Amino acid sequence: MATPPDTLDKVGAGLDALDVPVEAHRPPVWRRFLKTGVPPLIAFALLLGVWQALWASALLPEFQLPAPVTVWDELVRSISTGDAFGILWTSLHRAVLGFLAAVVIATPLGLLIAKVRVVRAAIGSLLTGLQSLPSVAWVPAAILWFGVTPSTIYFVVLMGSVPSIANGLVAGIDQIPPLLPRVGRALGAGRLASARYILLPAALPGYLAGLKQGWAFSWRSLMAAEIIATSPQLGIGLGQYLHNGSSLNDINMVIAAIFLILLVGIGIELLLFRPLERAVLRARGLTGAL
Amino acid sequence: MTATLETTVLSTVDTAVELAGVRKVFGHGNSAVVALDGVDLRVKPGEFVCLLGASGCGKSTLLNIVAGLDAATSGSLQLNTSRPAVMFQEPALMPWLTAARNVELALRFAGVGRLARKRRALELLDLVRLGDVADKRPHELSGGMRQRVALARALASTTVSPDGAPALLLMDEPFAALDAITRDVLQSELLRVWETTNTAIIFVTHDVREAVRLGQRVVLLSSRPGRVVREWDVTDSSNEVLDEINIHLREVISGHAS
Repeated sequence: MATPPDTLDKVGAGLDALDVPVEAHRPPVWRRFLKTGVPPLIAFALLLGVWQALWASALLPEFQLPAPVTVWDELVRSISTGDAFGILWTSLHRAVLGFLAAVVIATPLGLLIAKVRVVRAAIGSLLTGLQSLPSVAWVPAAILWFGVTPSTIYFVVLMGSVPSIANGLVAGIDQIPPLLPRVGRALGAGRLASARYILLPAALPGYLAGLKQGWAFSWRSLMAAEIIATSPQLGIGLGQYLHNGSSLNDINMVIAAIFLILLVGIGIELLLFRPLERAVLRARGLTGAL
Repeated sequence: MTATLETTVLSTVDTAVELAGVRKVFGHGNSAVVALDGVDLRVKPGEFVCLLGASGCGKSTLLNIVAGLDAATSGSLQLNTSRPAVMFQEPALMPWLTAARNVELALRFAGVGRLARKRRALELLDLVRLGDVADKRPHELSGGMRQRVALARALASTTVSPDGAPALLLMDEPFAALDAITRDVLQSELLRVWETTNTAIIFVTHDVREAVRLGQRVVLLSSRPGRVVREWDVTDSSNEVLDEINIHLREVISGHAS
């Protein structure tokens, strides 16, 4: 028959005690470094080893495969003369400006596509198609339209990153469980309050994934544009530096440029997107992939 | 067909909710399905009513109409309460907010100021005995705890009322997805909360035992279309009433076998 209420209270308290999550101990810093920092360092060292061995075997002539140390010398030279900073700055500020402009354009665009049926029907698939069009394909047209100017470069960067960011936001909104906005309505949220306090935060993981991809696309679009559209008035960015290396038949410069391009890509990912993504996913208990 | 639903606030205080001849049809023409057909229901302020029925009896539809999430095809609904709060089978907490913030969200939508929100949210979490885990996020809580946070949030949205109108809580099989022991504990928790807050509750379930244990009154609905079949006063519940309701529920269901 029915259990007396005070016994049930005790059962409830016991259940709660059993259910309270056990605080996971965060391992000390050196141990976390050992787990996450050491493997990539070992991989990098192995890569260098293979490169050195290949060079030592002299299978390829020096102008095709240089020794790691001569590439290192070129890097040190360009850093010590200050060239490297100027080059990095030229490219990075273009990429960041282009990316920010893309965010400003793509966010309302994504919201429109996600929430307005006609807009989605009209340009939804076009936007997905644009994502698979290599943005380097826009360079010839952009040069004809804008000449070899910064406008050309920004145009190519925008065409590369806007579709990714907008699509990310659309996917984020599409994946919101329908019960959440319904709960909002039951709690008395109007359209604006619902968008601000429920839809946008709920779509954040998808939006963030779109931003991350958008950054990658704007960086690679920028490199493509800089390699093809070179002129003195554009200054020397990483793409031009790479292009110059190729023109001068200087393999050291070429590999140093590729190294710097990679370095920026990895740096932005590790310093900006990884921590952001980790914070957002951890708050939602989605820690499986981290 | 035009909806002739009118929502008015009664001046008499002896009725919290009054449904008269509520009819709900989904679809048009030949494919139209009548979910509710002439449902009359009266709930007094602070009364605990259980709606009982098999699948397809339109229990949830009825609840959605009272909640204002859905409109009746015809009939009238009169509410003499503050904004009704709804609890679903899933807790549906915002996964990016802590337990306290989830409760505060309801208060924010009700237009409560920041400091008052914080204080009230903690009060309500204390009421469901979750004051200690106010800073935990939903994924750190067990299913039963989440449903209690959802209860606190629902109470937050209905017990805030400037004119002191009675509160109304609508619950759509809120404990159906929980294990037996947790369900047992939560049922007694709900009864305690109901006694302290004097909130009228319409509780939808398909579990006769649950309905008899919780409710003061059990209303049996038929299926397709949903109509009120019978009502029982179960304040002093006995095994005979339980058996009697079971027999009627089985009759309603087996009527669909042919």
